[in-house]
Amino acid sequence: MAQVTFFHYIHQETVLHRMDGRLKLGCLFVLTFSATLASGWLSFLILLSLLSCGLVVSKLPLVTLMKEMKLLAVMLIIVFLTNGFHFASRLILMMLISVLMSGTTSLTTVKNTIEWYLRPIPFIPEVRIATMINLTFVLIPMIFDNYLEMTDAQKARCVTLRKNPIRRIKWLVFPLLSRTLRRADELIYAMEARCYSETRTRATFKPTHRLDWLILALCLLALILVAWYA
Amino acid sequence: MISMSHHPILEVKNLSHVFPNGTMGVHHVNLQVYKGEFIIIAGANGSGKTALIRHLNGLLKPTTGDVLMAGISISSNLIEARKKIGLIFQDSDSQFVGQTVYEEVAFGPENLNLPQAEVAQIVDEVLEVVRLSAVANQSPHTLSGGQKRKLAVAGVLAMKPEIIMFDEPFTGLDYPGVVQVLQQLVALHQAGSTIILVTHELEKVLAHANRLIVMNQGQLVADGRPEDVIKTVEKHAVRMPLQQGERIESLTWLK
Ligand SMILES: Nc1ncnc2c1ncn2[C@@H]1O[C@H](COP(=O)(O)OP(=O)(O)OP(=O)(O)O)[C@@H](O)[C@H]1O
Ligand SMILES: [Mg+2]
Repeated sequence: MAQVTFFHYIHQETVLHRMDGRLKLGCLFVLTFSATLASGWLSFLILLSLLSCGLVVSKLPLVTLMKEMKLLAVMLIIVFLTNGFHFASRLILMMLISVLMSGTTSLTTVKNTIEWYLRPIPFIPEVRIATMINLTFVLIPMIFDNYLEMTDAQKARCVTLRKNPIRRIKWLVFPLLSRTLRRADELIYAMEARCYSETRTRATFKPTHRLDWLILALCLLALILVAWYA
Repeated sequence: MISMSHHPILEVKNLSHVFPNGTMGVHHVNLQVYKGEFIIIAGANGSGKTALIRHLNGLLKPTTGDVLMAGISISSNLIEARKKIGLIFQDSDSQFVGQTVYEEVAFGPENLNLPQAEVAQIVDEVLEVVRLSAVANQSPHTLSGGQKRKLAVAGVLAMKPEIIMFDEPFTGLDYPGVVQVLQQLVALHQAGSTIILVTHELEKVLAHANRLIVMNQGQLVADGRPEDVIKTVEKHAVRMPLQQGERIESLTWLK
């Protein structure tokens, strides 16, 4: 897929990368909740400093991220001018939370965490859902790649001369759909050939680190402070 | 090299397959596979090679006929058949299900519900065999063409199969990629696996095989020792790989 670092997992050896996914999901909820509660400079600054610490600890490539966020910066300024500081500050916080979370959490961790949380709920086939999540992660870049390849091939054949947008959508959507379905069909065969089964080895989690709980505690503290000042 | 026991480990009996749209994919094929063989199946595009080998592990169901493993129809125990008969797909690179190389290899053993520790041990072992241990944490899509093909092999090896089938493993690979895959193939055969290789690029590999099968329009039209069958391949739309005066032993990309 295209070489974008933004919203992509970037492998590093840091506390945040190693953190137990189950606790990290908790942090995500707490932080998002605090960000929606936040009003006024003080609560904004509390959360901003917490998230900035997180960014530094995570060793994510900040410079690259900044460059890629240029477009979003323009959007932020517009939001700031039209809706004021209140709205813009929340948007900044949400953006930082998503960059931090997606940059330090592999899709596998996300999948395993969701599966773990679904286990105690009866009548929910958590293994099937986890497989579906995984396949979605596999198929989305594939569809995107297919799309790029096809638009390039069509451009090479001067499709841009055709002005009728419906025609162009038709030429794009139907081949893309049939290609994706055929690929998905092959994927099913490949999974079957390797004995796909829903009674499978369960994901195990490494023992939770004390530091992980500390991070969650920090997030909770931030929530309490924000709620206090709100 | 050839250690044939008396009984075939795999037997195809009068197999035909008609696709739902009426295309005749496979037509009255009979075939016995013996332990330790290295079989190459050649044939033009659309001659039914893929369709045939997909019957051997039960991915396709015969319209008529049957496939027997140790004398018993594979449809009576598909999981067992798929464990014993591994298939590396044509265009295997687009069929990875793991987010990382490690997960891709672990997929099979996890399906068998093995304990986590055993899965980890198998994966480490197999990655060592195909020399991909160093990239275990990378995404499969960041690998080179040859490495991807080796990863597909690793995914199948993790099931510890007795027979390994390769569907066009050389397609789209450059010279070093072909050599990598070829080395793997030969090593597996020497370690005792039975190999079934589908390809029409005979010049790359025929020297290592002990049996050559040619398909044409769904039918098995030739089956025998490479030196005998090779004379007839041109009749069946496969390029004759030997130049005047060359010997079969020269047909390999391994030095
Ligand atoms: N799902 C399908 N539905 C209908 N016809 C099919 C299907 N799959 C394959 N066929 C047809 O069956 C015949 C045999 O196909 P098969 O894929 O086995 O050929 P092949 O020898 O593997 O060719 P290639 O070298 O192109 O891989 C072809 O005529 C093909 O068009
Ligand atoms: Mg084929």
